[in-house]
Amino acid sequence: MRILNLGLLTLALLSNAALALTPQEILAASDAVRNPDYPFGLTNTLIEYKNGQQTDTSTLGIYSRADPVNGQFRSLIRYIAPARDANKLILYSGRDLWFYDPSSKASIRMSPQQRLLGQASNGDVVTVNLAKDYQATSATEEDTPDGERQTRHCYRVAMQAGTEQATYHHIDMWIEVGTYRPVKARFYADSNKLLKSAYYRKYEKQLGLERPTETVIIDGLDPKWVTVMRYSDLVRRDVPELWLQREYLPRFRPE
Amino acid sequence: MICRCIFFCALLGLAAAAAAQEDTDLQALQLADQTAARPETASNWRWFGETSAGGAVRRATDTFQPAQRASLDVRYDSTFSPGWRVVLSDRLDVDNPAAAPYGNAINTLREAYLSWQAGPDLLLDLGRINERNGVALGYNPTDYFKTFAVRSTVSVDPNSLKENRQGSILLKLQKLSDSGSVTLLFSPGLDGTTDYAAFNPDLAATNHENRWLLTYSPKFANGFNPKLLVFKSDTMPTQFGLNLTALLSDAAVAYLEWSGGRSLSQLTQAEQQAALAWVNDTAFRSRLSSGLTYTTANKISLTAEFEYNGSGMDQQRWDATGTSPLYGLYRYWLQGMQESPTRRSAFLYGTWQDALINHLDLSAMQRTDLTDTSRLSWLEARYHLSRSEFALQWQRDSGSRYSEFGAAPQTQTWALVGRLYF
Repeated sequence: MRILNLGLLTLALLSNAALALTPQEILAASDAVRNPDYPFGLTNTLIEYKNGQQTDTSTLGIYSRADPVNGQFRSLIRYIAPARDANKLILYSGRDLWFYDPSSKASIRMSPQQRLLGQASNGDVVTVNLAKDYQATSATEEDTPDGERQTRHCYRVAMQAGTEQATYHHIDMWIEVGTYRPVKARFYADSNKLLKSAYYRKYEKQLGLERPTETVIIDGLDPKWVTVMRYSDLVRRDVPELWLQREYLPRFRPE
Repeated sequence: MICRCIFFCALLGLAAAAAAQEDTDLQALQLADQTAARPETASNWRWFGETSAGGAVRRATDTFQPAQRASLDVRYDSTFSPGWRVVLSDRLDVDNPAAAPYGNAINTLREAYLSWQAGPDLLLDLGRINERNGVALGYNPTDYFKTFAVRSTVSVDPNSLKENRQGSILLKLQKLSDSGSVTLLFSPGLDGTTDYAAFNPDLAATNHENRWLLTYSPKFANGFNPKLLVFKSDTMPTQFGLNLTALLSDAAVAYLEWSGGRSLSQLTQAEQQAALAWVNDTAFRSRLSSGLTYTTANKISLTAEFEYNGSGMDQQRWDATGTSPLYGLYRYWLQGMQESPTRRSAFLYGTWQDALINHLDLSAMQRTDLTDTSRLSWLEARYHLSRSEFALQWQRDSGSRYSEFGAAPQTQTWALVGRLYF
């Protein structure tokens, strides 16, 4: 799987306009820009604004590993801050979600709709390979402003939910032509209502590639509700299969 | 011509909507540009102080009795050497008036244990451990180590009762694999009786007999995670347990928790404990808790749970016991066991995160004894900031004189709670 994804991105970067990629291949190449193709850990700092005022800040440690069967990432999320939530854990494995509180030793199964992180859905926070859960139906070229207000020439990739793990009904994503960097995305409900927009920005070289280090999420209904997700400390690390089960949660102590 | 005008107007409308979208995005991005927060680092310590002021309406006199509490809560969890971990968890409550039979101060040593990772998939724990099992929210038939664990009842919220309790001294061995987990533990019986001294670790309370527990949790790829348990103690024949959960939809989770085995009825166990004459009524008895949690899009979670305790009393027996001398003995013993006196109960629990305003969480709970229809109701409004929390709590115990909740010494309690994380 790893060789396949890296190969796809390399092929995409080398061939550029010479070889036309399908919309699904463009989406997969974009996933490879956002996500390393091996187990990794990172720190995600979420800052939430409402009506221009900062209202919440959380820091999470995230440890991800792709499922050898379907290629989708599974993640273990550890709260680092705020203090009242420190060391609580969420195991995210497809639709199998478990919440663990070390104080009460309680492992509680959650439904995907249970949001523990303000505006950001669980699916926004954890690593997701969109090409595994969505079917890209078209890719048309157009110019669009990016998160730094620079105009980028992009593919506008339209995709539909393809599995029950998909958080959104359909998504439009702008992916830069040539680099396959995700620039922005709009996420929609079944009714075609805009649920949220996301800008992928502040690209920096991490683990060998230029990757976005910040995502700005804007609520579809209330645009004054903004969440900034800032990624740091991205490292390649072992995330053993053993970790990704409910019974390991009380044991989890990352170094 | 008209069609062309309509098409042109629609095009203009779409362009205007797109421009408006770009404008709101621009404002949001400018706001995000100002973000200065740095990631915080993980700490091995969590500690907070808490104060509470309120009181209770006494049932006997219908008068209000004020009450205050100050608490200090600390938890330390550290890997001090590769493969070695130490956990310490303690809470000190100072109550006014004192919660008899304790004095004003009650210290609860919740956990103190060492953990050793003997191999990549083999772990050993030794010490005082809060060993919890069970997927249900209100009543956990497979929580075999809850007996005589609560020293200081801070709140009737089930989350608080699960957290603020003493662990048991035990040795635990866990073998993990990609396909699941097997755990075997032994908790020895220690000499002595419950000690009410403020800072006594009260080891004999939780380790009053030898206990063994074997659990097996196979891991299936389709999200089906059952847990099987086998429990045995000096006084209890082998009990079997099962935990099951199922995701019914994106918003609903169902759960089932069952424990069953041959045992005496609760009343006979209480008589036996008090060294009274007792009749052997051993039979196969089941205990069960089954419920469903539904979460709405606006962060409201509602849980409805049915609870069955096959060792409790049926209506006829319960009605008769209310007027017998055994009533007080039975209720006192049940407090330590954390079991219902009767067979059937209903439990409703609801939470609403960010209710009406940001950072305000509302919680509501109602326990109903379906045998005597008595009720315990509890409400909490909790407002949290980054390092502090403030809560207003209300509790009501209602029912007939000798019912499960109607016999409580208070009819209502109020508490205003403040918490500060250090």
